[in-house]
Amino acid sequence: MDLIIELLMTFAAIIGFGVIFSVPKRALLLGGGIGVVTWFVLQTGINMGTSAIFATVLASLTAATIAHLLAKKIRIPVTTLSIPGILPLVPGSRAYFTMLAFVDGDYLLGLEYGVETMLQAGAIAAGLVLALSIFSFGKGIGNRYETGH
Amino acid sequence: MKAADEVMDICLLAGEIMLTYGAETYRVEETLERMARSSGFTNVHCFTTTTGIFLSFEERKGKEDLMQMVRVDDRMQDLNKVTEVNQVSREFTAGELTVEEADQRLKAISKAPIHYPIWLIHLAAGVAGSGFSYLFGGGLQDLLPAYLAAVIASVTLVEFERYLKVRFAAELAAAFVGGSVAILLVFIGVGNNLDQIIIGSLMPLVPGVPLTNAVRDLLSGDLLAGMSRGVEALLTSLSIASGIALSISLFL
Repeated sequence: MDLIIELLMTFAAIIGFGVIFSVPKRALLLGGGIGVVTWFVLQTGINMGTSAIFATVLASLTAATIAHLLAKKIRIPVTTLSIPGILPLVPGSRAYFTMLAFVDGDYLLGLEYGVETMLQAGAIAAGLVLALSIFSFGKGIGNRYETGH
Repeated sequence: MKAADEVMDICLLAGEIMLTYGAETYRVEETLERMARSSGFTNVHCFTTTTGIFLSFEERKGKEDLMQMVRVDDRMQDLNKVTEVNQVSREFTAGELTVEEADQRLKAISKAPIHYPIWLIHLAAGVAGSGFSYLFGGGLQDLLPAYLAAVIASVTLVEFERYLKVRFAAELAAAFVGGSVAILLVFIGVGNNLDQIIIGSLMPLVPGVPLTNAVRDLLSGDLLAGMSRGVEALLTSLSIASGIALSISLFL
């Protein structure tokens, strides 16, 4: 029951964010749907006992994959879907408590929260990068050796 | 073969709109190169950073080289305009649009007002803020104060930017006002969890577009653009944090 209320809240909040970023109307509801899936994956992962960071990577990967598939289908830039998709993962709470601890002068606690914030942000980026690598097979850029010819 | 000058103009206009309103660097480069190639020019090169676009191509082999640049100062978030320019470039590349038609459509997109009216954006910021305050562990009684604080923070951000036109200071002011309103509301007894209300009301200020674009740019090899976008997102986050720290140390 709690999860259902949370999913409804996610949907409403992500639609709100879509309007803030001026996402085109046909992508608004889709973005909200991706956000709901993201939150569901994150909560299911945490409930099944994985660490929050790993659950974030999984959720971000799911969101970015769905965003890439849908964006190809309805022909819009992928950012209009992937930004709403990853928003539920943004470590706003951790970032706030980091700031609060530093304001209180509790630097050790602040560093602890700060590291958690950075890890979670890194986890979001890792999920995005993984999905992007899958969808750019064969289109990437050269890196080390010229093996093509 | 189309007139090189005109094609150069519409390419740069399309690139300028996309870069201003939050497209990734690789998308701008790819779009411009495709548009120029589809018009029959060779040796097309485009170099884009977060703040400028260079485009060069030659009209005939070894002759009539053209090279222009535009400087892009504003960076706003309006993904609808990016989508529309994307559509125009797709039709232009497929040969469905003439140069004049493309020029008209791009100018219309560039002049068009923001996709959603500004009051709707304020209300949406409220919905996003109260939703996130619940997701971060607030109760149902915290929805209303988070809504009010988020709407006031959003209004502050927009009006501050309109009249004073200072980067980063607008976010700082918005975070300060939003945090102060949240503290005031909890003080007079509306809502219980101050932390969750403040976090929720600040979520609409999160620089989502530059953050996502920074990751994308870094991965597609646009290291310069990726780093600068990442720093932009970092500075925005830091100014939000300083704004809220200011209001907490003043009023708590």
